[in-house]
Amino acid sequence: MSLFAQQLVLGLLLGGVYVAVGIGFSLVWGVLNIVNLAHGALVMLGAYLTWWLFTNAGMDPFVSLPIDAVALFAIGYLVQRILINRVIRAPLFFTLLLTFGVNLIAVNLILLFFTSDFRAVAPGYAGSGMTVGDVEVPYIRLGAFGVALLLAAAIGLLMNRTRVGLAIRAVGADRDAAQLVGIDLRHVYALTFGVGAAAAGVAGGLIGTIYSITPTAGDPFTLQAFVVVILGGLGRVSATVVGGMVFGLIEVLAQTQIPQGAGWANAIAFAVLVLVLVLRPQGIMGRTA
Amino acid sequence: MSAKSRIVGGLFVIALTAVACGGPAGQSTGADIVIGVPMSITGAQAKEGALAKQGYDLWLDWINNSQGGITVNNVKHKVKLVYKDDQSKPDISAQNTQSLITDEKAQFLLGPYGSATTASDAVIADKNGIPMVEANGAAQAIFNKGYKYVFAVLSPSDKYAGVILDFAATLSPRPKTMAMLSADDNFSLEVAKAAVDQAPSKGFQVVLNERYPNGSTDVSGLVAKAKAANPDMVLNSGHLAEALAINKAAKDLKVDAKLFAYTVGPSTPDFVSALGKDANYVFSSSQWTPQVTYKPAFFLSVQDYVAKYKQQYSSSNDPDYHVAESTAACLALQKAIENAGSLNPDKVRDALAALDVMTFFGEIKFDSRGVNVTKPMVVEQIQDGKHRTVYPGDIANAKPQYPTPSWSQR
Amino acid sequence: MTGFRRRLLLIALLVVMSIVLVLPATLTPLAADAGLDPESLGVDFLVNKSILRMETTIAMFIVLATAWNLIGGLTGYAAFGNVAFFGLGAYTVGMLTDPERGNLPFAVALPLAPLVPAAFAALVGLPLLRLRGHYFAIATLGMGVAIGEVIKNIDLFGGSTGLFPPIFRRADWLFFYLMAGAATLAVATNWLVLRSRFGYGLIAIRENEEAAAVIGVNTTLHKVAAFVLAAALTGLAGGIFAQWNSFINQENVFPIEYNVEMILMAIAGGAGTLFGPLAGAIVLESLILWLAGMGGEVAVISQIGLGLILAVTIIFVPRGVVDFFGGQSTLSLAHIRRSLRETSV
Repeated sequence: MSLFAQQLVLGLLLGGVYVAVGIGFSLVWGVLNIVNLAHGALVMLGAYLTWWLFTNAGMDPFVSLPIDAVALFAIGYLVQRILINRVIRAPLFFTLLLTFGVNLIAVNLILLFFTSDFRAVAPGYAGSGMTVGDVEVPYIRLGAFGVALLLAAAIGLLMNRTRVGLAIRAVGADRDAAQLVGIDLRHVYALTFGVGAAAAGVAGGLIGTIYSITPTAGDPFTLQAFVVVILGGLGRVSATVVGGMVFGLIEVLAQTQIPQGAGWANAIAFAVLVLVLVLRPQGIMGRTA
Repeated sequence: MSAKSRIVGGLFVIALTAVACGGPAGQSTGADIVIGVPMSITGAQAKEGALAKQGYDLWLDWINNSQGGITVNNVKHKVKLVYKDDQSKPDISAQNTQSLITDEKAQFLLGPYGSATTASDAVIADKNGIPMVEANGAAQAIFNKGYKYVFAVLSPSDKYAGVILDFAATLSPRPKTMAMLSADDNFSLEVAKAAVDQAPSKGFQVVLNERYPNGSTDVSGLVAKAKAANPDMVLNSGHLAEALAINKAAKDLKVDAKLFAYTVGPSTPDFVSALGKDANYVFSSSQWTPQVTYKPAFFLSVQDYVAKYKQQYSSSNDPDYHVAESTAACLALQKAIENAGSLNPDKVRDALAALDVMTFFGEIKFDSRGVNVTKPMVVEQIQDGKHRTVYPGDIANAKPQYPTPSWSQR
Repeated sequence: MTGFRRRLLLIALLVVMSIVLVLPATLTPLAADAGLDPESLGVDFLVNKSILRMETTIAMFIVLATAWNLIGGLTGYAAFGNVAFFGLGAYTVGMLTDPERGNLPFAVALPLAPLVPAAFAALVGLPLLRLRGHYFAIATLGMGVAIGEVIKNIDLFGGSTGLFPPIFRRADWLFFYLMAGAATLAVATNWLVLRSRFGYGLIAIRENEEAAAVIGVNTTLHKVAAFVLAAALTGLAGGIFAQWNSFINQENVFPIEYNVEMILMAIAGGAGTLFGPLAGAIVLESLILWLAGMGGEVAVISQIGLGLILAVTIIFVPRGVVDFFGGQSTLSLAHIRRSLRETSV
């Protein structure tokens, strides 16, 4: 029984990581209709920035998260403004393939500058945690969980309570109408992608602290972001939170409750993805079409 | 419309001529011996590829700059290593291997890193009758297919498992139960299967045997399951990334096993630099350590090898075993060429099959499949951030620190 | 005029193809009989093993891109998991020829390679093809990953070790012929479909599915048929690959990158056109293999270069290098300006 409780906790904590990874991906997809294959590379950029600040300036990884966000916002803004804006009205494949190219460039730039060595951020409190009953709750994962929920809340507030958010939502709903009322589409597109990238940067900071990082470690996170967004449903922050949590729980419970389940984890995750798409394409939290 | 047709037709012809003119016109490379190396320089296995490349380049520097080349019938031939990057993808690796043989006129091959790339390249080597000496991560499955031209200097997968179990049996208090975790690539699974098969006869009870997807970043659920099974030993058969993930999760979840042992990972400097003091106490079955005491028949002594590594790569770390086994593959090839007294691939192939030579890496002698079953393996442990050899006793330079203290007492 | 030009081009292509097909088989033994080194004859592209392998790989991607064109280019359904069909075809041959399993000759196994993926496509096509846009793309992506993972976890299929079909020695040209034959078959299939009522139905679906249904196109039947055709051709390439490579496992025949590459080729050449995917496959795969062969020190730079080339292609030539079907002239500055205006904000 305590094993089950431990796994529920681990599943939710892992879900927190998935929420952080999925939130920016969902925003960009929902508003811009771009499936961003470079999302994982943006996550890794955040991770490497946190690692660099920790190693060279002794900065606590949680303190460096806002820096990740600002730096990645700038990168994201430029990528959208310079590159993706040029094909944003082309059929959906074009943005897909363009971001694939961006991913290839970003991953190999990281490889060039940081080499293929494994890096990890290990602050003094790494590995310590609290024990509730006989369930272990590691502090770093708990902190990451909290940050992920804060990040979701912040993006929710930004979208629903600010003028920028209003403009972004207006563009997402009807870009032509938005343009008619005087919204600068190029700027708003770039802002949206920038916010998505900033969220990826924060997720990267968390991931760099929890796991070890290499230049190619980002690709699996892109795939996981797919699953999170599809599970939860596209477009709303709350849906991403639910999608992330459900995915985290599925993964940990599949690892542990099914004999040899860990080997099947990917098969199960993607089979669930296909099933959800076929049976409930709007996602668990989505409104019925 | 006509412009279009011309462009299409033109493109097709241009493409065909482009490929047609791709290779060099077939000029000879003089007396140099050309050795082709398909290698992962980019992609998922870039780290392991970089280690293997260090080992190959170290030998290259030695053979050319201090020996003046390989001696064949009293004639010295300088050596040229030609690398091609396979992006860690098997199909690219196969194409590059064929191109190394045909276009670069490679007379011999040194192997790539991964199991899948090796399996693809072994087919090409065998089809073309070019000897390939493999250094890293070759699954035995490849060697059970009857390929004639493929050899591997590393000890096969069953020895990874055997040495750690033999070592564990010498400890007191003797561990009794074990949890076996494994990545699901073929090499890791072969090691895990061997461990589980050998465990009962060596007096260990397997309380958990699970595999996880190769390259997993989060295995915390599985580690929690291992904790619930309360094993004396946690064994992992995988790679560096997963060894790091398991060790981090073990600390997070306060898994207090008496012994942690991982196959690939702990021997690399990255393991210690990434984990800091949490890397301490971890055991690893290793192909080679800087403490082994083999008396080599040629090339460098173990101490000189370590010194040369540190000097050539301006490194303060000792070379890890991936570097050493890669150098050893070069040595096997060199000795076989010398023994054959010829650069004919078939004669060198026969010389490889008949090879029996002691090197800094250990004895190299292939069985009928091309596997080096003679060389023993060793167990090392990380003690205060340093790699120490703890088994077998006659070459150990430190006593094992055992049992591993609980996480709360470190 | 248009028809005449096209027929001329087809005839020219057939002539080139037949020369390419006949020469290597006859040249190599002839040269050997005459005591000559075949590689000294100046016809490297027919006898040089490395180039032959490259050409075989290119032919394979012509099959993949051209087959994808049926569902992705003509029907407008963003299939992102066709690699599943490639893998299933490969495993069909792998299982049937394996000495411990089917132990059948390759010649018997190969005809079955298109059938298994085609049947699978028919099965999953019905539910999946109800999805649109990104949702269909991701569902097919998920299908591709899941199939590979399932096969890897079942020992009957060789687990993660995979299968090792017996090596055919001195038969490199055989696999080149087979792949080139499959490529010809794929292009011919596209040609027939483009000229048929069926093809017009597919295009109607791409342009407006509801309207197509209204004018009497059985959209479900059309979409599933296109999906099955694509799967059969892709599976055929997989089956040939299995025997050619003599080693298959999940990593090897279910690579996610193939999905991206085949689409990229079709789009770079011109999706929905007859020769676009073919041209795209030739140009891009040559480029990929050439960059991969650049060697050690520049490997990382060459990968960055590949990414830049992709990005520039997508941005500046969004209609593809070959745009037969849309009747647009290509690669003129005016065309690039126009398409940039159309696609950017």
